[in-house]
Amino acid sequence: MVSITLRNVCLDYPLYGAYDFSLKRRLLGRLFRQGSEMRTIRAVDNFSLQAKAGARIGLAGPNGSGKSTLLRLIAGVFPATGGEVSISGNIVPLLGLGAGANLDFVAADNVNLLLRISGRKPTPEILDEIWAFTELEDHMRHLPLRMFSSGMLMRVLFATATAFPADILLLDEWLSVVDEKFSAKAEQRLQKMVETAAIVIIASHDQGLLRRTCNTIVNLDHGRIASTIALDPPTTFPLELREKRA
Amino acid sequence: MMTLNAPDRRPSVLHIFKVYYPDLFGGTLSVIRDICTGLKDTFAAAVLVCSRSGGAPEIVINDVAVERVHSYGDVLSLPAAPTYPWRLWRRIAEHDLLALHAPFPLADLVFAFGLGRGRPLVVHWHADIVTHAGLRFIVEPMMRRTLRRASAIIVSDPVLVETTPLLQEFADKCHAVPFGVDVAKYDRPAVQPADVNTRGRLVLACGRLVPYKGFDVLVRAAHSRNFEVWIVGEGREREHLEQLIRDYGLQDRVRLLGSVSESERVKLMRIADVFVMPSVTNAETFGLVQLEAMAAGRPVINTALDTGVPHVARDGIEAITVPPGDPAALAEAIESLIDDPDRRRRMGQAARHRAVTKYSTTAFKEGVETVYRTVVAEEASAAKDVGSSAPASRPLTAGGLVSAIQIAAALAWSDMRHRYVRSLLGPFWMSLQMAIMVAVLGSVIGHFSNAGAVARLPMLAASLTAWTFLNSVVLDATTALQGSASLIKDRALPPVIFLLQCTFRQALFALHNATVPLILWLALTPRDISGALIALPGLALFIVCTLAASLVLGALATRYRDIKPIIESSLTLAFLSSPIIWTPEMIDRGSTVMRLNPLTHLFAIWREPLATGHVAMTSLLYVLACLGALLIASVVTVAQLRKAAFWI
Repeated sequence: MVSITLRNVCLDYPLYGAYDFSLKRRLLGRLFRQGSEMRTIRAVDNFSLQAKAGARIGLAGPNGSGKSTLLRLIAGVFPATGGEVSISGNIVPLLGLGAGANLDFVAADNVNLLLRISGRKPTPEILDEIWAFTELEDHMRHLPLRMFSSGMLMRVLFATATAFPADILLLDEWLSVVDEKFSAKAEQRLQKMVETAAIVIIASHDQGLLRRTCNTIVNLDHGRIASTIALDPPTTFPLELREKRA
Repeated sequence: MMTLNAPDRRPSVLHIFKVYYPDLFGGTLSVIRDICTGLKDTFAAAVLVCSRSGGAPEIVINDVAVERVHSYGDVLSLPAAPTYPWRLWRRIAEHDLLALHAPFPLADLVFAFGLGRGRPLVVHWHADIVTHAGLRFIVEPMMRRTLRRASAIIVSDPVLVETTPLLQEFADKCHAVPFGVDVAKYDRPAVQPADVNTRGRLVLACGRLVPYKGFDVLVRAAHSRNFEVWIVGEGREREHLEQLIRDYGLQDRVRLLGSVSESERVKLMRIADVFVMPSVTNAETFGLVQLEAMAAGRPVINTALDTGVPHVARDGIEAITVPPGDPAALAEAIESLIDDPDRRRRMGQAARHRAVTKYSTTAFKEGVETVYRTVVAEEASAAKDVGSSAPASRPLTAGGLVSAIQIAAALAWSDMRHRYVRSLLGPFWMSLQMAIMVAVLGSVIGHFSNAGAVARLPMLAASLTAWTFLNSVVLDATTALQGSASLIKDRALPPVIFLLQCTFRQALFALHNATVPLILWLALTPRDISGALIALPGLALFIVCTLAASLVLGALATRYRDIKPIIESSLTLAFLSSPIIWTPEMIDRGSTVMRLNPLTHLFAIWREPLATGHVAMTSLLYVLACLGALLIASVVTVAQLRKAAFWI
């Protein structure tokens, strides 16, 4: 069964200064008892969350409130300092769409590699389908990614990242550069992915987006839960809205 | 989503069983065949079985590809096919769905080891293990693991779930799909009541001649009665039954017909007066053959087993049910039917009616198809397969490590491919460089000593290749984590992948470079292969040591940035002070620095066997001790790498 349970989870983020990366300083500092104890910031503070299949959780809050750090903690990038984390189900983190793209490689190779990174075998059909989704011309498959505009790049990366369904989907501020037409299409696809994924957690500043896709919104402030808003299940009218915008 | 909307491709299903046509005929096999043909529009079927007869390993039967693994005979009712589990494991990935026809412990073995978790599994539960029940304690845990892993279990009758303890545990996954019979096959000349021979005394039984079918009970029942018994089928009990028939002096009334063709069997079914299925153990779960007899409009005599048998043909309506293994009761029942043609006719009509209404092939086909479809669809939407899931970077488990290695290999492979994209020669440019270096250094070093410079060249080239590998792995590792920061932080890939990637990538490049020493070796030495073979374990140790060192140093250099320059200068120093371009013989053997230098020994463990054919034991011990220390350090490093995301 897919579930996420966080109980009183804390995360102390170590702040490495310019000199904290030096072994010499570390050793000498200890020798001469120079005050160099590590400074940390509590990025996630006493956070509890219980999510079962069907949960769509939105994380909102100002910059530096710990949204991304919390997502990374759930993804397993950062180990928790305290508290209890138990997660079952396979996680697909989409925390930065650019992740893993090599701008010198041609687009097709990049798609291939990104699929392999997420443990999928790239077959010609899947590659064709991904390319069809990007709506880019076919000959561009064999151009290096550095020739692409940032919007085109985003299309390729987004199509690849969302090609397969996930148990737990973690999303962080996606879709910032693409044009409106693709944005609508991408949101539709994500909507579909959100429907098939058991649990979705989205961090975003876009309140409208959160209200459209989530059934719970958690407002974060300095790593703490400032408020939790339970929403009615998403209604159908956002679909119409999106079509108008498209 | 990709996996959901691919309607043009039929998902493929792999049927896993111990035996298939043409090696054997029987109920289970006809069920598998019916599934294959019935579902051929929606599922592409393949069969993987064992075969004793030899012959072609891959044959096509009724448009279904059948792969047959060689078996050396039967041991404890199981085919002795040692390669079957391996073959099964290799095939699993090629199919979308696995259909295991249980019981088949050889396949359970594969699933018990957790192999093939990436594919959904449906278990067709044909029977429990009844023979060799003494070995149950070994087999049952494996069967339980298989059932736990299965997405659905198909049984032929709901009563099986209640009476089989193992199935009770998984009752929520069980689906009862009764077998079907193609009634049309039995009614070409429509069954007329007149067909029933009023003076008839022909009793028919069908099945493999194996103990659980209870044909010996039937033979005993025929003793001192006056009906005739025909038994259709072949099997290892034949001699025993023949002996029994002779002992009772029944040769004129009891006949073993052996295997007959299907059309022949249909005819026999239609001329028989009574059909008997005297099975004695719960291995008989359904009795497809009694269903065929019912389709032919024959009255049935079956036995009161705890399985579907007495539910398919019910006592007093379509059948007379007698206690299993009781010749007297069986004989009574047969005689009561022989003596009462009217009752025979009534029972036969009821039997046919039940076969038509309750056990149609369409219902069976649709039942199985529904289960298959649901399982495949669930799998597609859940996509929670361990083998191909996105690796969550929880603390590394065994499965996590395997997928980490796969990803690292894929990354390294793409690195190498990309070198070819940039230039025609790809990494061979580096080999060219290596060749030049060997030529120059070789000519210079030739003047150091009086031994032939040319004879030294292959070893010099090999040493330089190995050193280049070690040097680049360690240097790569110091920057690998920072270089892959976005993959670690945004895609949550375990950092250890990128340290492994360094070794894999440089190993691929080293293979390119190895052409230089290889060509020199082929050209300049007497090509003694035995020395090279003894050198292989040493070379493997060399690579493992390099890998472990790169893990430790890579992590350290990421945490403490001032370590990288230290490593760089140490590598230069190590290159000069270790016997890489020079050999120990060239200098005073007593040099303490050289003897303490681990690199000396790391090179000696594979160079000595290459040069002299003997393994340098002290060097080997020294390297093993170093490797032990490195491995401990690596384990600590991998544990610490959990924090790597903070460092980059």
